[in-house]
Amino acid sequence: MATPKSLTLSSTTFAKLSPHPYLLANLQPADPSTTPTRTNGRQPAQTRTPYINTSSLSHAHGSAVVRNGDTTVICGVRGETILTSAIPNYRAPSPADDSGSPLDEARDYDLLVPNIELATGCAPNFLPGVPPTTLAQTLSTRVYSLLHSSKLVDVSRLRIYPEEVGGEKNKEDNDEKMDEAEEEVDEYDVAEDKAVKAYWVLYIDVLFISFDGNPFDTAWTAILAALRDTKLPLAYWDADREMVLCKRSQQNATPLNLRGLPVACTASVFTAKEKQKKGSGSYWVLVDPDRLEEGLCDETVTVVVDKLGGSTKILGISKHGGTVVGPEFMKKMVATAESRWDQIHAARVEADADEIKD
Amino acid sequence: MADRRRINGPVGATTPPIFDKPAGPAAAKTRDAIRKIFLKTGITPSASGSAYLELENPNPQRPGNTSLKLSCTVHGPRSLPRSAPFSPHIILTTHVKYAPFATRQRRGYLRDSSERDLGVHLETALRGAIIADRWPKSGVDIIVTVVEGDQDRDSPRAKKDDEGWDMMNVLSGCITVASAAIADAGIDCVDTVAGGVAALVCKDDKTAPTIVMDPVVAEHGSILAACCVAYLPTRDEITNMWFKGRLPGADMMVYDKLMEKSLVACRCANRVIVQELNETVKKGQGIS
Repeated sequence: MATPKSLTLSSTTFAKLSPHPYLLANLQPADPSTTPTRTNGRQPAQTRTPYINTSSLSHAHGSAVVRNGDTTVICGVRGETILTSAIPNYRAPSPADDSGSPLDEARDYDLLVPNIELATGCAPNFLPGVPPTTLAQTLSTRVYSLLHSSKLVDVSRLRIYPEEVGGEKNKEDNDEKMDEAEEEVDEYDVAEDKAVKAYWVLYIDVLFISFDGNPFDTAWTAILAALRDTKLPLAYWDADREMVLCKRSQQNATPLNLRGLPVACTASVFTAKEKQKKGSGSYWVLVDPDRLEEGLCDETVTVVVDKLGGSTKILGISKHGGTVVGPEFMKKMVATAESRWDQIHAARVEADADEIKD
Repeated sequence: MADRRRINGPVGATTPPIFDKPAGPAAAKTRDAIRKIFLKTGITPSASGSAYLELENPNPQRPGNTSLKLSCTVHGPRSLPRSAPFSPHIILTTHVKYAPFATRQRRGYLRDSSERDLGVHLETALRGAIIADRWPKSGVDIIVTVVEGDQDRDSPRAKKDDEGWDMMNVLSGCITVASAAIADAGIDCVDTVAGGVAALVCKDDKTAPTIVMDPVVAEHGSILAACCVAYLPTRDEITNMWFKGRLPGADMMVYDKLMEKSLVACRCANRVIVQELNETVKKGQGIS
């Protein structure tokens, strides 16, 4: 029975039976001439090439599909309106303190509602019919806090004003339609009428179609691409009907004003176990980890950077578990995130070019 | 009580945008065929089997506009949990879930009754096709995510009773996509089951009703009755049938005709499945 041949396991069987030694053997080849590679064939610092497609959904105001290797994510952004009278403890924003005011409308009135759904059968451990897993809840919260802390969405675009007066959006419209005499009359009304009557609430829903590691980066890329794609119809407060109405024509729809292009980059730290004689104490940093690697690593680092202005800005650093990472490492990680930013930026430019071609 | 495990948004009620003018009427195109189907297997590598289905929009307002997008994953067959009682055959679990952005109205994350209903119909349709005795003591999960429902965004008539009709198209799509995903997972079936819809429609009250395949709700004045069938073409068997609506009482043959038309639609859909599976097999042979 036990012929030598039957004892030889295929690499996939080996990976399933003992994943940790399998990954270690790949990163630490017996033959020094071969370069250490991860089980997925990538170099430790090599990321998967992202692919972005936007505007594929018709019921959402903005949507994006992002594929990062075998991780596929759909994000749909949907705008709904809320009246200021329905907001508890509402304070009218005064135009003077637009900058540096303690009033953060997006956060105080909960105008951004991101949710990440993993229970779509995207991987065997995420099946529907159960409450959201810890991972799904963590991801939603992390995305929520990053959306607010990065101040990505310009709140002024989410305000809805009474018809014909106020609002940057309305003004452009008015200029075309009205002659100057009428405009002057309008100016007179502005003082008393320019009060925010309602807000747009953006429901940002992220669905995982396929899951192969690095959920946060991919979900964030999808949210970013979908928000860039979002075009809200021109809305105004109709005083007679006491409700918010939208203009039907597509020309009046305006894109959101996004500040910058923050990109998240995640890396996991893989350590050899103490018990293993070979290479104990050494560690490897695996950028953009896949599902197998994520299961074997205790320590993960996520850095969010924005390079749109030319210089690199760090918007967030988070690190969980483990004791390997130090300040030196963080510097290297920021450099890795910078190259990741270039990659995502290139994918976005490509997606925009595709859309124009269509 | 709000769901504290999700981010719920503002406390006050939000309303979807209401437009000041109604949209123009949808261009009605009459076809005597089903809409073109795009089907692809293996989109979720981490699942045992998966498939993606998309229908073309016959009246596109925008480039690349399609309606009805479904993604299906199959997990299993795998052993049942220890606590489960003995089962001599495979236990099917089906889940149909709309994405929050799939329909005109935003959907919640909890499954509602119509989604459960679709799940039950899908299960009956598939149970007849799978050779269940081959896997005793095991279970399989079939999950269909409706990424986009079969509704026209700018449909001029957003009538309340319209709601039910597009569910027929969603169900037939679910059956077709699940059948492809099951085949992709390598679960033995007697045949590839396919779904098809036919409906009795009329333009207005004066014109005589006609029977169409694969009805697009926005295209027709009113739909009197619709019928969704899951069909095994090589065995000539029906595994599930869902009939809804009212038929004009005078003509008893209408019911038969409606059935026959939906069977034609099933055969068309089945051809797409077979072609896609053939292509997948060929691709697999090319690599090895």
